[in-house]
Amino acid sequence: MARIVDTGVAARDIAVVLRLGLLMLSVAVLGAGGATGRNFLSSIVSYRFGAQLRADLFHRITSYSFKELDAFDTASLITRQTNDVTQVQAFVNGVMRIFAKAPILAIGGLVMAIALEPGLSVVLAVAVPLSAGLITVNLLTGFPRFRRMQEGLDRVNSVTREYLGGIRVVKAFGQEQGEVRRFAGANGELTAASTFALRVMAFFGPAITLFMNLGIVAVLWIGGFRVAGSSLQVGKIIAFINYMTQILFSLNMISGIITSFVRAKASWERVGAVLAMHGSESFEQAPAAILPSTASSASVRFSGVFFAYPASGGRFVLEGVDLYCEPGRLTAVIGPTGSGKSSLVALVPRFYEPTRGAVYLGSHDVRQLDLQQLRQRIALVPQKTVLFTGTIAENLRWGREDATNHELEEAARTARAHDFITGFPGGYQTVLGQGGVNISGGQKQRLAIARALVRKPEVLILDDCTSSVDAITEAEILGALRDSATSYTCILITQRISAAAAADCVLVLDEGKPAGLGRHETLVRECDVYRDICIAQLGPEAVDV
Amino acid sequence: MSDPRGPSLTSVPGMPGRGPGVGATMRLGIKVRPHNLRYAVARIWAYFRGERARLGLVFFFILIDSAFGMAGPYLIGRAVDAIAAMAGSSLNTLQLPARALTMALFALLAAYLGGELLQTIEGWLMAGISQRMVRNVREGLFDKMQRLPLAFYDTRPHGDLMSRLTNDVDAVSVTVSQSAVQLMSGVVVVVGTLVIMLSLSPAMAFVSLLPVPLVFLLTSTIARRTRVLFKEQQDALGTLNGHVEETVSGIQAVKAFGRELEAGKHFGLINEQLRRVGTRAQIWTGFLMPMMNVISNIGFAFVAVTGGYLALRGFISVGLIATFVSYSRQFVRPLNDIANSYNTLMSAVAGAERVFEVLDEPEEQADAQRARQLTQPRGEVEFRDVSFGYRSDVPVLKDVSFQAPAGSVTAIVGKTGAGKTTIVNLLSRFYEVTSGSILIDGTDIREYSRSSLRRAFGVVLQDGWLFAGTVRENILYGRPDASETEILRAAELAGAAHAIERLPQGYETKLVESGANLSQGQRQLIAIARAVLAAPRLLVLDEATSSVDARTELHIQQGMMELMKGRTSFIIAHRLSTIRDADTVLVVDAGRIVERGSPEELVQRDGYFRRLSETQRRGIEI
Repeated sequence: MARIVDTGVAARDIAVVLRLGLLMLSVAVLGAGGATGRNFLSSIVSYRFGAQLRADLFHRITSYSFKELDAFDTASLITRQTNDVTQVQAFVNGVMRIFAKAPILAIGGLVMAIALEPGLSVVLAVAVPLSAGLITVNLLTGFPRFRRMQEGLDRVNSVTREYLGGIRVVKAFGQEQGEVRRFAGANGELTAASTFALRVMAFFGPAITLFMNLGIVAVLWIGGFRVAGSSLQVGKIIAFINYMTQILFSLNMISGIITSFVRAKASWERVGAVLAMHGSESFEQAPAAILPSTASSASVRFSGVFFAYPASGGRFVLEGVDLYCEPGRLTAVIGPTGSGKSSLVALVPRFYEPTRGAVYLGSHDVRQLDLQQLRQRIALVPQKTVLFTGTIAENLRWGREDATNHELEEAARTARAHDFITGFPGGYQTVLGQGGVNISGGQKQRLAIARALVRKPEVLILDDCTSSVDAITEAEILGALRDSATSYTCILITQRISAAAAADCVLVLDEGKPAGLGRHETLVRECDVYRDICIAQLGPEAVDV
Repeated sequence: MSDPRGPSLTSVPGMPGRGPGVGATMRLGIKVRPHNLRYAVARIWAYFRGERARLGLVFFFILIDSAFGMAGPYLIGRAVDAIAAMAGSSLNTLQLPARALTMALFALLAAYLGGELLQTIEGWLMAGISQRMVRNVREGLFDKMQRLPLAFYDTRPHGDLMSRLTNDVDAVSVTVSQSAVQLMSGVVVVVGTLVIMLSLSPAMAFVSLLPVPLVFLLTSTIARRTRVLFKEQQDALGTLNGHVEETVSGIQAVKAFGRELEAGKHFGLINEQLRRVGTRAQIWTGFLMPMMNVISNIGFAFVAVTGGYLALRGFISVGLIATFVSYSRQFVRPLNDIANSYNTLMSAVAGAERVFEVLDEPEEQADAQRARQLTQPRGEVEFRDVSFGYRSDVPVLKDVSFQAPAGSVTAIVGKTGAGKTTIVNLLSRFYEVTSGSILIDGTDIREYSRSSLRRAFGVVLQDGWLFAGTVRENILYGRPDASETEILRAAELAGAAHAIERLPQGYETKLVESGANLSQGQRQLIAIARAVLAAPRLLVLDEATSSVDARTELHIQQGMMELMKGRTSFIIAHRLSTIRDADTVLVVDAGRIVERGSPEELVQRDGYFRRLSETQRRGIEI
């Protein structure tokens, strides 16, 4: 440029003008080629990075124990997986795009400007550090604002998620307006946080430009009076200003990236918090004792078990429970609401670990067993049925991936689910909505039992999972289970005396303490709690038998 | 044994399967309307209602600010001319150009300072405008979600809807806050610069305009592709959000079955799809800037060469070349900005379209005109030949008729899938009857406003779902203005008081999702207390005590009997103990009422009810 004006125009040589013009063009094309290559690379790399980060997060989260999961809000974990990763990814992409370019442009511009006219460079010596200082301040003030913004997103996610989960209750109580208000609260907070963050950014962007522009004025000023002394050519001033514009341009680029860096840093810390918490159920860890699979090893023994939930402030929900569950036998656990029944069985697949005492599978403390293997040998049907989006067959295969259709059917028959499944137009290929929302409670429970049976487990735990099934069907299911139970240890949590009566051994729990242990006939005579339950359920005549 | 709420969804096209066909099932069953860009943009624009005065102000500032911006090169040109004059002048003629230089520089300084100030104000205003606009989008979407029928939610992964409220709205937000100013100032500067260039030298202005058609061609080519890719990217992000939400929510089952690796595999598929479209969208977007640079440099070279030529012929001054070079640069930058904003706009459109998809879903049937308010009903309920199916080809209820006089207790029993919960769903108008009618106090429930109808019912649903708030907040849900005494009494009647008092913080205990502090049965008791507190004239208990032990149930029974006095109640239950005090028992089988009468009568008859009671007494030896 400088040469077109200085040499060409000054020398009145049209050929020089044209030649230099062509040169400019080819440099531009070359530059574009480089930029496109950079674009390809940065796109591919940053999206790969993002995908990897999401995958790492997902694996980390699934390796969390319940205790660790309780440390995060579920909705926040979801925001971190998508929105926060997107922010970080955008930053990586932006950085790679300008990684070399902006500093080179800035430094190149600086070097060229200084080489061109050292005298004028004093201006740069002032303007550039000032801009750099501004960028730093920008970073420091912006960061906490963006963190608050992401937390605002968490809350929006959280309110929405809860609304979706409880939508029937919301509608049943006609509380739509209350939900809208709750949402408006979260939404307003997010709006306030993001407006604030954006305003901070709105201040710094133009300020950086201003500093460089003031530099241009100074260059013209100083340059003008130096020209008068004939120590400077006009073309040089134009060129110098062009270099300054170039530096300004790259500084702006850097400042833009800083903005996304501030946002990304806030997100990165949130992502990092998830990654930093080491999942104690990681499957990469070296396997512990491997248990030989024999029928005799599948007994379950609770020995002096005390347990308090980590978040409950040390209140014991189980106090001194001893129980031996023999293979091939049906052990029932009965007791009032909140007596610790579900907590007891949650210790077997090691969802939680006992505070004191131990749980043994065969002769091994479950804490010494490889977690994956341990859980592979146990099938637990939880009280609250969880089914997943997908077909019925897919849900049943959760039990065992390679189960044949015949095995699925067999399990469904035992769980008395086969008939209603085949009653659906889609049969086993019927698609379930999230949580199995489109089938009834009792049907869900029977699918969950079938899913557990598909696994052909060594230990089968049924946690009051027939509560929505009618008594006749329940009796059929329990009968079928007993017939097939010869090969596994079966622990049944129940509310119903009718089910407990059929068990080989019944543990009565009351407020976390064992209140009785034995067969139905014995307990009716000897255990007060059990007798009360009998009377409540079947009337006073039931205990006279 | 309750009933299927829509036995099968096989016909829903987009349920995200667990199989590999992630790409094909990305649309989640929501109709994708034909892409109409102008329509989408107009719809986004509609959200700026109420912000137009402020937007006008921003635009006004942009006008001035752009004028300042454009004055820059002109003033630089003047300064350079002055400097050139100074270079060629002797000491005594120096004064004139020196004054000119000083004046030009002061004007330049003013322009820069003014521009900076205005830009800060613009950014400040725009931050408010854009975030308020985005808040309205979110609010509108959430409002809409209140009016969608349950059938809509039955088929959508929660996480995908969440993604629409956050990630998709975020895409709109980023665009609006960043690109709106860019786009406006771009247009202003392009037009302004053009006018100035025309006035300075029409020939040079024409040369500067040469790259413009290229810019349009390039932008539209790229935007056509990115628009589709951005949409796919947001869809994939939604699906991913859905999968993560479902996995984390069902983590207990995932762990119990050791499905971490499989869940990870499925996650990997969606993640890969997201990565693929994301990379492609980014690559296309990335083409824009280098290409624009080539184009602008071509223009730049043209200007320099032409300028050099014209200067050689003496048509224009050297200062004018400097000015033109600055202008043509200034001309190209807003063109870049426009191109860039246009492309970013595509990602906003992609996000907005996903919001609009939900907004365009059919709502719950609107209340009848002049709908009546159902306040203080007597509580006579009648089903008259009611038929219903969640899908038209699978009837769930067939010609069900029964009457429940005011204050009576009706128990509904029957096998799983017989249609019991469906009766509740229809009663509270979660779904609408296919034929026949339901009457309360002799009036079809469709003639009441939906909200007053639902408020007239106290419903305890099967899963006893509670909010993540304190116990107190949950009990207060149905009637936020209840007094302390009323709360305690409701908890007492529901048999929940004992369990709540045992909690470390009592009524102020926060419920956690994993259920670590309350058992399923205790949760049901709180759900009952919630319905008790609302205490309307009609009570529906759908397996409300299924996880409650018999002893506690017996304990609440007395409370419930007291509560049901003067209230028309419907009880769905399996346990004999729960239903033996009912006035009437309806036995439902395959969508029809097969037995009806008092419990005493039915036990005498040889039917389902007798078998049910015998089974429960005898235990499982069937």
